[in-house]
Amino acid sequence: MSNTDAANSMEDELVQLVHACAARNRQALRKIYDLMAAQMLASLIRILKRRALAEEALQDVFVSIWQRAAQFESARGSARIWLMAIARHRAIDVLRSERVDLYREADVEQMPEPAEGISDWSSAGRSAAALARCFQELTGEQRRVIELAFVNGYSHADIARVTGEPLGTIKSWIRRGLASLRACLEK
Amino acid sequence: MKHDQPQLIDALASEYVLGTLRGAARRRFERWQREEWHVASRVRAWEARLIPLALGLPPIAPSQELWPSIEARIRVADASRAATPQRRVARPGLRALAAVLVLCALFAGGFVAWRMTESLRLQTVATIKGAQGPLVWSIQLDSRGERLRAVALAGAAAQPGHSFELWALPPGKGAPVSLGLLPDAGQLERTLSIAQRTALSSATQVAVSLEPTGGSPTGAPTGPVLFVAALKRA
Repeated sequence: MSNTDAANSMEDELVQLVHACAARNRQALRKIYDLMAAQMLASLIRILKRRALAEEALQDVFVSIWQRAAQFESARGSARIWLMAIARHRAIDVLRSERVDLYREADVEQMPEPAEGISDWSSAGRSAAALARCFQELTGEQRRVIELAFVNGYSHADIARVTGEPLGTIKSWIRRGLASLRACLEK
Repeated sequence: MKHDQPQLIDALASEYVLGTLRGAARRRFERWQREEWHVASRVRAWEARLIPLALGLPPIAPSQELWPSIEARIRVADASRAATPQRRVARPGLRALAAVLVLCALFAGGFVAWRMTESLRLQTVATIKGAQGPLVWSIQLDSRGERLRAVALAGAAAQPGHSFELWALPPGKGAPVSLGLLPDAGQLERTLSIAQRTALSSATQVAVSLEPTGGSPTGAPTGPVLFVAALKRA
């Protein structure tokens, strides 16, 4: 089975599992956990830096999936994306309320550099392969600031501090980078 | 904020999903997307574009104890949801139950002198500790499972207007049973009711929720569940 086929088959399974959660099937939530928790935790740890904080957030994420499963509509998008979006939005919410030391190294054994942070695009399916291709079309600065924001959870001001570039330049790189990504993905 | 500009909506949606839309602007945008389907659809489109970035990160396996904590929180959340609509119907029943509990308390009070002379050894059955904070209680029980003592080992202060409440989580689909409030400092000791003893004898875990001062008004957890700890058996 190719990586894309595997990603499609996982997507079908996740759609069924989210619907089963909406019907109050706890086993289904456990299966979603088995399929997605490690992926979600990787993202949460990179944003929240501390493993303990990320694991608390992950608990919140699964309670939220359980409570919101009935709101998922497969016709409007991918289950995998919907689930990861819940995790990411939770991480940003925690950043609001907790004092997170953004410059601390994340509790990851080997913290990849932002440019190397994305290890396996192909396993994430066709949409990821397209994103990988379009990402390579961005300028180096645009790639770096988008990854610092998305993968590390940095704000505009944080990125300006880390890179030493003016805030206006950072905002402009992000804005143009996102516009280029959109244009490339819609080709 | 001009709500009728597709380009502006798209730009806000992209920065919302990227995570750089922060503070009050983020909260306003969240409200807006809940109310307007076309804003929500822009957010979904950006999630589909950008979230594969997060799916490519090397996975990190969660700790073994994480799933049991999630399961316990879900049981508490479900019990809390189930308890809310039944409140009115059950009110006469609750009054009767309260009267019975008062009588039980009076009955128990009559035996205080007797209890004072009885030296039952208390054993720690659960230690409640947050993953990050210093908040720690030791939950102790006598050998008969009748007396419960909660000891605050580290500074534990609920926000004004709130109390910490302890719950027994029975196995299976049973609803959590309140074991009373937890102290912010020092210790609290109480005699358990028959219902509490029964719940505790079959429970495998205890949980702590944040409730209004004086405890849950419904008999089920109403606030967030802050901690879940395993019960040790002697």
